[in-house]
Amino acid sequence: MSDHFSGPRALADPIADISDVFAFPAPDSPEHLVLVMDVFGKAGPSAVFSDAVIYRFRIRPVEIAATGSGAAFAPSKSEVTFDCTFDVPKSPAGAARPVQHGRCLTPSGRTVSFRADDENGGGEDGIQIFAGQRSEPFYLDVRMIEKTVATGKLSFKPKGSDTLYGTNILAIVIKLEWRKMLKGGPLFAVVCETLAAGQRPVRIERVGRPEIKNVSMSWKMFDQVNKDLEIRDLYNSEDAFDLKPDYFDAYRVRMNANLAFYDGLDGKIDWPFDQQGNHPLTKLLLADFLVVDASRPFAETSYFEIERSMLEGRTHATPGGRWLNQDIMDFVLTLYVNGGNGPPVNDGIDAPIAWSSKTFPYLAPPNPAKAAAA
Amino acid sequence: MIALSEISAAAVCSAPGPSPLTDGAIAVLNLQAQIDGLEGQGASAEAATLIDLLILRGLIHGRISDYERAAQLADRQIGAAIADAAAYVARARTRAVFHRFAEALDDLDYADRISPQESATRQDRAAILQAMGRYDEALVTYVAADHRGEFEQAAALAGLWAERGETDMAQRFYLESLRTYRGVSPFPLTLLDFQLGVMWMRHERLHQARTCFEAAIRRVPAYAAAQGHLAEVEGHLGNPEAALTRLYPLVASSDDPDYAAQLARILGEMGRNDEASGWCRLAANRYHELTGAHCEAFADHAAEFWLGPGNDPLEGLRLAMLNVRVRKTPRAHELLAQALDAIAPAAASARCSGAHLPNRAATQL
Repeated sequence: MSDHFSGPRALADPIADISDVFAFPAPDSPEHLVLVMDVFGKAGPSAVFSDAVIYRFRIRPVEIAATGSGAAFAPSKSEVTFDCTFDVPKSPAGAARPVQHGRCLTPSGRTVSFRADDENGGGEDGIQIFAGQRSEPFYLDVRMIEKTVATGKLSFKPKGSDTLYGTNILAIVIKLEWRKMLKGGPLFAVVCETLAAGQRPVRIERVGRPEIKNVSMSWKMFDQVNKDLEIRDLYNSEDAFDLKPDYFDAYRVRMNANLAFYDGLDGKIDWPFDQQGNHPLTKLLLADFLVVDASRPFAETSYFEIERSMLEGRTHATPGGRWLNQDIMDFVLTLYVNGGNGPPVNDGIDAPIAWSSKTFPYLAPPNPAKAAAA
Repeated sequence: MIALSEISAAAVCSAPGPSPLTDGAIAVLNLQAQIDGLEGQGASAEAATLIDLLILRGLIHGRISDYERAAQLADRQIGAAIADAAAYVARARTRAVFHRFAEALDDLDYADRISPQESATRQDRAAILQAMGRYDEALVTYVAADHRGEFEQAAALAGLWAERGETDMAQRFYLESLRTYRGVSPFPLTLLDFQLGVMWMRHERLHQARTCFEAAIRRVPAYAAAQGHLAEVEGHLGNPEAALTRLYPLVASSDDPDYAAQLARILGEMGRNDEASGWCRLAANRYHELTGAHCEAFADHAAEFWLGPGNDPLEGLRLAMLNVRVRKTPRAHELLAQALDAIAPAAASARCSGAHLPNRAATQL
């Protein structure tokens, strides 16, 4: 849910609203890479995928182009995609949920069929796919984040209130044998997109890293250049691997301003701007794709470890990417506020209602309808 | 009661034209899923979204109980967040649905005072002015509104010109809406199709109206008002059996008496008087309930009923007069004229017998 409601268009079309993206080496099978796209945050029991949306996973081999203060990635121009599409569901008598079938077009041109909500998923040689309703894996206290921004003071309570407690999402999980299904590697950049289907599909949303559009870019008031600009729909419409130079400065200035705000929350500057006037994380975060090293063994807390190693000029030790159970809000807040030079920032929420498991399809089963309200 | 033309499509939601749209059955399932997912969430922004979604579901399924629930939720939100502009905007929307236009505008004024930098209220204000028949002010306000995109602007203006009966302008903006639509939800476009259909109906261009209502139903088959209006058009075009086939499911799924009233009228015209009187009683009871609870909202449709199958012209006149006080639209004036015509024989007869019009009616005339 780190990207849920990430702009006015996403609000209008929740079925195309990507809430989170995950990429991790399979805990149960090291030769496999797992990619997860969550959509439709706070989905009620009747939620189903749209038949007019392409749910796309884009994967490119990526190189580390520079380390130190100018750390940067160089994604390859070659790319593979996995496009998932869905039929109009049928409602057999007595079924709790409508039965929906989907298919995934793989880079080789093969089509893998599956039935939504089937925990075994569909699959064939080298690939297994699940789609269906699952428990929301993300957890955070949105009200206290808003209060922090409004007051300029870290406002988290020792025991927070999980905004997403007991809620569900629709998830698509692809487990693939990466040496067989992907080209290059082992370092890959992953972006998920939703597109309006048709002869010329139009991008609706795209997500790579967690909490870029909401926590990092949504606040307008610190941005001295575009104080009134709702920037997220524009940002969503961009190709993550090829941001338009025309708008890049708008994103850069917004990101610089908001990251500087977070850095100041503990009363000291941990991220001094560089000579070009940029926050040291801005360029890396605007490379808005998850970077995962498929050759490294699974790790529980590995988000941004590759990037940190690049900034520090060392070799990364984990697969990077993002695992389902990592406490992303604590990580992001600590990164932004003190860069790891101070005590961890804890938002008071340390677990979702149910942890994801280490076996396919990984995400926990959906919560009962009234779990959130209770 | 709540004619769709009174709620601009853009105010309800937003989404593509040439691209495929989400199937209407999926959209309805997911609307339900959105509502279920937000029920019980306490935050003000979520409550405002839930209120909008309940209004949309009420609109699609013809469920007055959804509007009532939205209104209760909005009142509760004001109590919980007295200084929250979004709560007042949400309540303004529910008040507008129930034709409490002056109170709705008061809420928007208050929201503007609390949060003067926000321009979000303009769109709502314009929709209310439109519903009140203050078209020129509505147009100025729509143009000044900080629209979220080309589609929203075009859709709002299509609705306004349709309501004014300016068919060329309405069609121009309708096509512009289709061209600029970028979403996948079918709701904004089905609402527009419906608005155009109502416009053609008012011009007695029944074939064009049918085309529009059929388009609306292709996008969202469950859209009760489109089904109901298509039934009415089919009835007028001499196909009462087709009309009945559409209306029977609606009287089961909707708590709006319009469909029972239509059944009563069509069955009566077919000479099936026993069946007609049953539906007539049902509609009459429900209109009594609704005009008791939400008089402004149901005055127009109830007046039509009493002037038609309900056969109580005096009650029709009372409600038509009330309606014209709430909204000075051409349609409201037509309805009043119709009511006065209907009462004329009764009044003449009453004068002959030495009786008088009810005081209320007489003074308000």
